[in-house]
Amino acid sequence: MEFVTILIKSLIIGGLLGFSAGVGAARMFHAPNTQALGAFRTLGEMNACQGDAASHFSFGLGFFFNAWASAVGAGAFTQDVTHRVVPNWAAAALLYKNKDVSQTIQDPKKMGIAGTIIGMIVVAFLNSTAAAIPEALQVTAVAVLVPAATILIDTVMPIIFWLAAIDAGRRTGFWGTLFGGFAQMIMGNAVPGVVLGILIGKGVDDQGWSRITRIILFAAILLFILSGFFRGFDLELLESFKLSVPDWLDNVHEIIKTE
Amino acid sequence: MEDITEEKRAKSFWFADWAFPLIVGIMSAAIFTGTYMYIQYGVGAFNEVAIVAMLKAGLDGGSYGAAAAFGASFLFARILEGSLVGILDLGGSILTGLGIGIPAILLSVGITAPLNNFPLALLTGGILGLLIGGIIVLIRKFTINQSSSTFGADIMMGAGNSSGRFLGPLIVLSAAQASIPIGIGATVGALIFYKFEKPIAGGAILGAMVLGAIFPVAV
Repeated sequence: MEFVTILIKSLIIGGLLGFSAGVGAARMFHAPNTQALGAFRTLGEMNACQGDAASHFSFGLGFFFNAWASAVGAGAFTQDVTHRVVPNWAAAALLYKNKDVSQTIQDPKKMGIAGTIIGMIVVAFLNSTAAAIPEALQVTAVAVLVPAATILIDTVMPIIFWLAAIDAGRRTGFWGTLFGGFAQMIMGNAVPGVVLGILIGKGVDDQGWSRITRIILFAAILLFILSGFFRGFDLELLESFKLSVPDWLDNVHEIIKTE
Repeated sequence: MEDITEEKRAKSFWFADWAFPLIVGIMSAAIFTGTYMYIQYGVGAFNEVAIVAMLKAGLDGGSYGAAAAFGASFLFARILEGSLVGILDLGGSILTGLGIGIPAILLSVGITAPLNNFPLALLTGGILGLLIGGIIVLIRKFTINQSSSTFGADIMMGAGNSSGRFLGPLIVLSAAQASIPIGIGATVGALIFYKFEKPIAGGAILGAMVLGAIFPVAV
């Protein structure tokens, strides 16, 4: 019974996902005049195999196997389902009948329809086969993937993003280091801070301290203050420096606390 | 498409700005419900293992902080960038922000209903997506033609892609520590995938699982 439930839910999710991924991808070819939903890497990769149904199909297939392994192992589909499998397979399906890219993969309507069908099949397949996998396999996958993913998130990603910020220029390096350090303390992971640092640093590099970059900086600081407060960072900070927590601050936290 | 005139295009659903929030809403309904599927059935989250693992840490009784902060800041950065460059990055905004960050925030403050109920999950995702899409169209109205900056999107994407490359070797290392047969399976699997020019992470996982099925480990 659970199998049927999963299957039906997956068909609905897959259809919605496929439709919007197809339309969003086709609109990328008309950006920036038309606001699109996708990714630059998707656009680049689709351009790379443009016009050739077999290239689109096999490109998607490689990532489909990867997504399948990941879904079976850890229940996660990988971003490739939306970024690569659905757009490229929808493109391949349309190109099979008509080689003109402007009438196929650049047409949001046709890509939306093809994407809907492919999304339904892909999501239903991934969910139902992964749910039917024996437990011994899932135990292995978890024993292997969880430690690897933990190292990736806690150590490797912060360092890679940090080095990218430093390499991108003095300004991104400065803001990346500043926000990265604070993000590690406040949020427990430096990556979001480094990303914001790159955003601000590069924004200022490209257009100076304009209204937009000032708003971004203000919003970033606000984000830090709010998440610091909600995670009790202010209390921890005072205690770490051997200072006493004022009653009013404790009271404010008591009011906000939900648990 | 070249023969379609600008006026015709602006009116057509398939190209219009007003259609954008709808498309984001549909996508968000699917992604948010994917996270619901993951919580209910252990499969169906539309993101990388590493990012889903952050949400898993919260679900297993730890803190939702990492997932919430990571997801929310990605969403924030992508909304700004998406409206400026004309392509909203699905991965950061919807998959990570709405699919991981927002559920983590909801769960951390004790709101569990949208993630326990299928129709409610679709509805919640859809409404949040409409909002995100709407915000982007609004920002676009005020900033388009004003800015030439991509706000370092290329740098972040480059870093994102290169950190993805680390996962393959990390899986082999972690498999080798789980047990000798699993380590051998992961190494051979990675080699086969490498030979066929596929991402080695996939081969390493499959290889580890094949040998792990024959020589199971206790966790």
